[in-house]
Amino acid sequence: MAMKYMDEFRDAELGRALAGKILGAVEPGRHYKLMEVCGGHTHSIYKYGIDDLLPENVELVHGPGCPVCVIPMGRVDDGIAMATQNDIIFTCFGDMMRVPGSERTLTEAKAEGADIRMVYSPLDALRLAKENPDRQVVFFAIGFETTAPSTALTLKRARAEGVGNFTCMCNHVTIVPPLRALLDSPDLRLDGFIGPGHVSTVVGCRPFEFIPKDYGRPVVVAGFEPLDILHAIRMILAQLGEGRCEVENQYSRVVPYDGNPAALKVMSEVFELRPHFEWRGLGFISQSALKLSEAYAELDAEKRFGVPGVRVADPKACQCGEVLKGVIKPYECKVFGTACTPEHAIGTCMVSPEGACAAYYNYGRFAREKELV
Amino acid sequence: MRVVRIDADRELALCEADEAGERATVEIALVQPVADGDRLLVHAGTAIAHDRSEVPAWR
Repeated sequence: MAMKYMDEFRDAELGRALAGKILGAVEPGRHYKLMEVCGGHTHSIYKYGIDDLLPENVELVHGPGCPVCVIPMGRVDDGIAMATQNDIIFTCFGDMMRVPGSERTLTEAKAEGADIRMVYSPLDALRLAKENPDRQVVFFAIGFETTAPSTALTLKRARAEGVGNFTCMCNHVTIVPPLRALLDSPDLRLDGFIGPGHVSTVVGCRPFEFIPKDYGRPVVVAGFEPLDILHAIRMILAQLGEGRCEVENQYSRVVPYDGNPAALKVMSEVFELRPHFEWRGLGFISQSALKLSEAYAELDAEKRFGVPGVRVADPKACQCGEVLKGVIKPYECKVFGTACTPEHAIGTCMVSPEGACAAYYNYGRFAREKELV
Repeated sequence: MRVVRIDADRELALCEADEAGERATVEIALVQPVADGDRLLVHAGTAIAHDRSEVPAWR
């Protein structure tokens, strides 16, 4: 039964019909620049060729919503420094293992002898801690508000079950501050946003209301299937055409407008905002990341083991920062597809499938070549 | 993912992926109440929302 619904969200006939409606909604001579905030959307757009279905004057630019992409080199180095301490089992998600630090990746550190293990969830890391009571197990937590509840629940479970050898190095980030930073940036003129569907299941749509209110740009929170994204684009264009500007929820089958109160509650118990956090390419952004609250300080790996905390500049050749801000397209980066590929990534945007560079590379977008609808 | 079986005491569920058919243990504490057969949006082993995909928004 589930496949029936899945097929319907990928129906080519319906897709062409929506593309026709988008074509009918654009004003000739006007250029529309829409940002999809979430890396999951970027991946779907190129996987399904959605870009090719859009009129020439509708441009999609890619936002900072890929959690792996925004981790700065210094934090990778901090993770490696922790992972190479004796007796530590260092755990992280698979994509994170290939993110370059200043000298090496976690995968390379593992090859040199560090006990670094890939996990699918923080719960897997907690299980490792229970199975290895004589070792310290650290979970390197990354992700936006989508993933933070999972980390928070696991930390609560660790404490409730008295698992004393489990800690978390927290790199969770929040989505609203970088969006505000982008909107304040003089480099970028945007006409509207495809809002992040999965983050919104947790935070809801209300946190994005500042975008129409303060910046006069429409937001449509969208799902990840091809017809979801086309539908969201049509909804944004409809707002622009009708002179409306508000937050709309295209993904209402999953996203409640007020989010998930239980998830928000557990996050507020376990985490608190960091005063500042460095984002790759975006620099330091105030109150844009989470750390463990004082109530959970004993489970904070940074407090238990310490980290060097040295800031590392991105490689000069890498233009991930400009890609993450939507200022350039991935194929405009000097090293895209040559020195930087998914197999040998220089920048983070080439590592995760949700990264814009990886999406362009994997789906053959080496230049802007569009077929007219 | 679709809920196959629930461990109510531990607030965990055995869930099956729609397309691949792979099964995994999922935290369901944040989306209660949950029943067998429900479809859940799961991130990093934790369900964060119910998925009511029978209602496409463009209808």
